[in-house]
Amino acid sequence: MSNNHSMKAGVLALVMVFAFLVSWELYWRSQGYSINYDDGKVLWADKRARVYEPSDKTTVFIGSSRIKFDLDIPTWERLTGDEAVQLAMEGNSPLPILEDLAADEKFKGKLVIDVTEGLFFAARSNRDKEPGENIQYYKERTPSQKASFQVSRLLESRLVMLDQDYLSLNGLLDRCGIPPRAGVFQMPYFPPEFSHNTFDRQSIIQPRFLTDTNLQKQVTGNWLMFAEMAKKQPPPTKDDIMHVFNTVRDQVAKIRSRGGQVIFVRTPSSGPFWEMESKVMPREKLWDPLLAITQTPGIHFKDHPETSNYSCPEWSHLAHKDAIDYTRHLVNHIEQKGWQFRNKPASLSFINH
Amino acid sequence: MLFNSYTFIVFFAVLLALHRMPFSWQTKKLNLLLASYLFYAVWNPPFILLLWISTLVDFFVGKKLYYEENKRKRKVLLLVSLVANLGMLGYFKYGSFLLENFTALCAAVGIDYQAPAASIILPVGISFYTFQTLSYTLDMYKKRSLPEHSVLDFSLFVTFFPQLVAGPIVRPNELLPQFKVPRVATRQQMLNGLFLLSLGLFMKVVMADSMLSSSADTVFGATQALLPGDAWLGVLAFSGQIFFDFAGYSTCAIGIASCLGFSLPDNFRYPYAAVGFSDFWRRWHITLSTWLRDYLYVPLGGNRKGAGRTYINLMLTMLLGGLWHGASWTFVAWGGLHGLYLCVERLLRRKTPTPPAAVTEEVVETYPEPTPVVTQTASFAPAFMRTKTVNLFFGALLTFFLINVTWVFFRAQDFGTAWRLLGSMFGLNEGGAAVLTNLAMIKVALVTLLLFTSHWLLRNTSVLAVASKLKWWMVGAAWAVLIILLILSQDSSSSFIYFQF
Repeated sequence: MSNNHSMKAGVLALVMVFAFLVSWELYWRSQGYSINYDDGKVLWADKRARVYEPSDKTTVFIGSSRIKFDLDIPTWERLTGDEAVQLAMEGNSPLPILEDLAADEKFKGKLVIDVTEGLFFAARSNRDKEPGENIQYYKERTPSQKASFQVSRLLESRLVMLDQDYLSLNGLLDRCGIPPRAGVFQMPYFPPEFSHNTFDRQSIIQPRFLTDTNLQKQVTGNWLMFAEMAKKQPPPTKDDIMHVFNTVRDQVAKIRSRGGQVIFVRTPSSGPFWEMESKVMPREKLWDPLLAITQTPGIHFKDHPETSNYSCPEWSHLAHKDAIDYTRHLVNHIEQKGWQFRNKPASLSFINH
Repeated sequence: MLFNSYTFIVFFAVLLALHRMPFSWQTKKLNLLLASYLFYAVWNPPFILLLWISTLVDFFVGKKLYYEENKRKRKVLLLVSLVANLGMLGYFKYGSFLLENFTALCAAVGIDYQAPAASIILPVGISFYTFQTLSYTLDMYKKRSLPEHSVLDFSLFVTFFPQLVAGPIVRPNELLPQFKVPRVATRQQMLNGLFLLSLGLFMKVVMADSMLSSSADTVFGATQALLPGDAWLGVLAFSGQIFFDFAGYSTCAIGIASCLGFSLPDNFRYPYAAVGFSDFWRRWHITLSTWLRDYLYVPLGGNRKGAGRTYINLMLTMLLGGLWHGASWTFVAWGGLHGLYLCVERLLRRKTPTPPAAVTEEVVETYPEPTPVVTQTASFAPAFMRTKTVNLFFGALLTFFLINVTWVFFRAQDFGTAWRLLGSMFGLNEGGAAVLTNLAMIKVALVTLLLFTSHWLLRNTSVLAVASKLKWWMVGAAWAVLIILLILSQDSSSSFIYFQF
């Protein structure tokens, strides 16, 4: 390329890129999109590194998607004075992460384990891949990756168009309506209004989702599809379940032996989902023995009138206002089980109780 | 540090600013050296020690080798360098592999030997910089060029960050002279460099990672037999992924060097338009294939010791070339298959008349490497493939088909997977499963079509040459599209595949 030719081409490219980016950002904002952090292994690893914050100032949460929606982190932090480190992973069992924390001699803090029976007791090999990748990434992070994350965080906090789930090239292609191929599993599409991720890894159902029954039906349809798929899998045998009980008991014992505290939580579900769960995975067979065998306290949402009647918009996760309410009650229930939050603001002790 | 990371953007902007400030050339070179060490150290800081060992050993041994006349002492000095360089490479890259094979061998002869568990981390780019420093020592041994007297220049030759971890593998006489005179990019070099950097990142982030990688992962990760269409599309996806990933890195490296005022050799010249396999190796990973030619194939005797030895030398070179890529027998099989292709092609060529335009092997073996003009006419392909455009096209298609077969061994994690996939590709497995979605199939098919067509159309030219012939606004618009798609892809966390080699 000649000097002048290249210069003009370069300037044109710059102008076009700048014009596109401004228009692109403004367009998506006008469509109601807001900041949505990429909830991948990079953000997870950043949180995983925070479990060592002083153990008397931090509570770590592991589990599946429900605790990500149902725990309102600002409310938790305001009421307890503790930092909430959210390590739960959507669609995954918390067991690989529990094993990772139990094996980590430096972790001696408070741990809340969210139990979604269908995932918690599922066959391990299917459920270990994604958590395993996150753990590996955390352990092998290079200084360069840590530095890149800081720049990325800065950009993601300001630009809506950096929504990797929905506005990246692949996110956009996924939405272009190409029909699924018969016989090939394709991850069902969740509308962008269903959830947004905060930097703390909290998932929040968007206001439009609460009023749009079509969107809700789209998501409940996805749950039904997953339920149909689960029916085709052989149910866990008694031995499988006992193996989970024993594994969890051993991991919890390791954390306790170092001075850590552990509690199980069964977060709310409602409608057909709860009916199916209570029929297929009754608490007498799973939840109650889990607490008994591991000798660990637990909080089941059905045990407390104030948390037993939430209506989840898509049967499985709480709306944001309910998440705030649930978190408030959760703090109370956990304290009633003997946990103490040393950094709890004195002025809130009275209100909370 | 990855080129496709935010850290690199900051790093490069600061370095570029420093490089254009009115410092002395010595200071600028020192900046480049420190930046190169930083670039490497942010992966795994302790491995910087290996670079220093390699640098110091080859600097001092190389100089002594050049001036030493005593043959025995020269051999000892050469041995010191080989042991230091290949010893580190052997330990870090092949240690576990050798131990596994030794254990298997012991078991085969009835010895119950349990190897201690080894967990060796592979230093990024060790195969690349080892070959680069070795070329200096071997050149000193052969007295092909003069020894380097500046530790700073030599350290920079070993460590120059644009090509440190994944090539191009640069020869001493290509890079060391460039450190002797002050270099700051002209406006043209800067613009060309930025264009190539954008293009390289587009190839890596958009094409390799966003469009192709998941389909390749799905197909090569399948544990059951597949439908032929799925198997082929998975292999084509990897074929495109490995090209876009590796050529993308080289394009970035050349672009970055250009922005700093340096020039690096081409590493890829539209390899999927190759007609025949010797043509393929003059287009694919050129700096490795010429390294293997000059430091392995020719010293083994090349084609000078009769037909039989020529075939043996070809096979040995390609088998070791395969092993260079990774410590696994599947890589050796990949190299072996390429060796076999080259032997068959050579045999065919000897049995068919050679048109006058074809370049002879003696020319191909000439050092330094052939010029692009020679490359476009040179081919070991049989004569019938080289006469008409339509024949050339079908020759390129046939070559592409056979190259895809080799990629199965390159990508498969074990032979079981490779055989199963080959069986699926050729319809030998019953009851194959469908694993790719419609969207994935469309993406792979379109990208493969685009890839093959662009290679065919550009096979005798270069991107910069084409760009210079287009209207400025067309280049500007194309450049903008590259950058916009790059930003939209948003994936800045994937390593380049060749880092693991």
